[in-house]
Amino acid sequence: MELTTILFYLFSAVTLGAAAVMVFSRNIVHSAFALMFSLIGVAALYVLLHADFMAATQLLVYVGGILVLILFGVMLTNQGHNTGFRAGSVNLLPATLLSVTAAAVLIYAFVTADWAITDAEGLTETVHPLGMMLMGDYLLPFISAGVLLLIAIIGAILISTKLSDRSENSSEI
Amino acid sequence: MLNNPIKEGWLTFKSIFTGMGITFRHLFSPAVTLQYPEEREILPDGARAKLFVNIDDCIGCNLCSRACPVNCIDIETVAATADTDLGKTSTGNPKRFWLTRFDIDMAKCMYCDLCVHPCPTNCIYMVPEYEYSEFDRTNLTYHFSNLTPEMITDVKEKAEAEAEEKKRQREEMMREKAELARKKKEEEAKADEMDPKGSVADQPIKEDSGENVKKSDTHSDSPQIQNKSTDESTETDSGSGIKNDSNKSGSDDHPENNNS
Amino acid sequence: MGIFQMTANSFALTTILVHALFPLTIILVYALVAIWGERKIAGFIQDRLGPMRVGGWHGWAQSIADLLKLIQKEDIIPTDASRFLFKFAPFMMFAASYAAFAVIPFSSGYMGSSINIGVFYLLAVTSLLTLSIIMAAWASNNKWSLLGGMRSAAQMVSYEVPTIATVLTVIVVSGSLNLMTVTELQSGNDVLGFLPNWFIFQNPFLIVAFIIFFISILAEAHRVPFDLPESESELVAGYQTEYSGMRWAMFMLAEYADMLLLSLLGATLFFGGWNSPFGDFMAGPVWGFFWFMLKGLLLVFVMMWIRWTLPRYRVDQLMHICWSILIPLSFINLILVALWELIF
Repeated sequence: MELTTILFYLFSAVTLGAAAVMVFSRNIVHSAFALMFSLIGVAALYVLLHADFMAATQLLVYVGGILVLILFGVMLTNQGHNTGFRAGSVNLLPATLLSVTAAAVLIYAFVTADWAITDAEGLTETVHPLGMMLMGDYLLPFISAGVLLLIAIIGAILISTKLSDRSENSSEI
Repeated sequence: MLNNPIKEGWLTFKSIFTGMGITFRHLFSPAVTLQYPEEREILPDGARAKLFVNIDDCIGCNLCSRACPVNCIDIETVAATADTDLGKTSTGNPKRFWLTRFDIDMAKCMYCDLCVHPCPTNCIYMVPEYEYSEFDRTNLTYHFSNLTPEMITDVKEKAEAEAEEKKRQREEMMREKAELARKKKEEEAKADEMDPKGSVADQPIKEDSGENVKKSDTHSDSPQIQNKSTDESTETDSGSGIKNDSNKSGSDDHPENNNS
Repeated sequence: MGIFQMTANSFALTTILVHALFPLTIILVYALVAIWGERKIAGFIQDRLGPMRVGGWHGWAQSIADLLKLIQKEDIIPTDASRFLFKFAPFMMFAASYAAFAVIPFSSGYMGSSINIGVFYLLAVTSLLTLSIIMAAWASNNKWSLLGGMRSAAQMVSYEVPTIATVLTVIVVSGSLNLMTVTELQSGNDVLGFLPNWFIFQNPFLIVAFIIFFISILAEAHRVPFDLPESESELVAGYQTEYSGMRWAMFMLAEYADMLLLSLLGATLFFGGWNSPFGDFMAGPVWGFFWFMLKGLLLVFVMMWIRWTLPRYRVDQLMHICWSILIPLSFINLILVALWELIF
């Protein structure tokens, strides 16, 4: 399909370009919004891979959830009323070395890997098998992830209530 | 404070639906809006809006002008000459003045209604007309005099001529009187050998009085002084007119009108 | 379109364009009508008349006149604004609410895209609204805007949870994420012998679910009493403060589109979508479209009605309602609905 190919390159370009902007931008908020474009691009690529549930999850969790939290964090911890969020670069040399090494390893793996190339199947239902797998074969990791998240939520609540208790006590004293 | 969450929740819901019921009823109740340029509210009887002068009934008594707290009424009257009869007003009062100027500056007017009540002929009143905004402030001065400029000059000349005539007559009279007096004095002086100083002192007083006569004919403030005999009657009329007016409005109209 | 006419993709492109233009037409017409309608409803509720001048009968052309005015307005961008994000935000916001219309089954014969993840896609795409509002708020470089943006983000992230939980209750009953299947399941008049098979009548807990869902979509669409992000009386319209002309109009369009989208979602999930309330009477694709829009617009009307009835909540009250009432209630309700489905 010609259209799919065009769309693939388009979304790849969006993803990579936004990622580059995210890395090289000196403004944290600009980086965050560039990350948004990058994540949306990735979601679009998932759609092209017929992984529609994955794409929607990507949007809902990363763009609608985590990115909002990142922006929240940036704006609440910084001087929120100003567009001048400046970010400097540190440890340029080690970072460059590390990333170049990582890129080399990835490209090597990509080139040498024995990819099993099959023709694209038609769009099939993904939700039902996914749910069956999560509730069947992969029940243990699924439950473990759930327990982990629950612990995290309880921990968050505990931390916040403790803090408020302390502040109440200090105000009483 | 309500501590029962179920009761609290129920009350919340109930109040929301009560409120929505009220707004729903209002959704179908007729609007109170008046589509202004097409529909207008009929002003109540005592409404204070634009001033209007029925110039045919005006006797030039100047009472409204003097009642005005902001001096927005400017009246100039010229006494009618003896050969012209200005007729009577619809209320039966004789008219004795040409109204050469009757200007009301509505930009200054503060709608106090005080000029309306003193009028002995009820010729100044407020009309239910409130759309007279202008781009230029000077356009808000309304000219009620119905005399053309030619007529005004004509009337003024006539009045002046008559005044001159009167003055001359009076001066003549005075001179005759003075002459008489002088003759008398001379006779007396001849008789008694007295000083003629008194007659010299008399002279300027006579001339002053002559000028007063001329002034009072043309200037707005003085007709009452000059025509004391006629004006006293109108003034007493107007005085009773105020009482009549207030009595009338008190008895005929709604009680709010007195308050407004 | 002309360039691709000779290629094999021309058919696909034409289909995409048709599918894209159909909801767009609906949104544009609806926005013009709804803005006028909201002003009329506001007027009637307050015993006024609302717009009466433009176009003759009850000022029906008021929105068109407003649109023409907005087109002529200057596009003002504050000096210290982040230019690209400032310009981009309104379009992204509209794109987010417009893209979600793809999975709405407008009638038995028409649906933009019958992907299997239907509702999930809708919820995922509308979460972009939050980001676009933050983007607009931050890029404006205005403290009111930023406050509105922060409120909006907190509000939408919070209220997404009860929305998803109540949508999930319907999914538990229907067993499908595809809204067309969800609608098809609600055809027929079997409940108590005469009521339509709509989910709201099928299960008493789904009535509770609908109430929670409706409160949540009020918050998601920034409608009174949850219009804190744009509370015009305290935040001078929040994130829209610095916008003017067509960019502001895009925000307005996106908000009204979002309102319609969530109302149509509610109509699909709880009120039988395009199903006629009289069984086979007045059924069919065209009547289906009529019933669907009627249901959606009725919900929109209720939203407007509430707007002119209730005052605005405080931020802490807003959060309290969501986290301590709606979220526990919606999850308990989800479990109860699941139990009901198991037993009956």
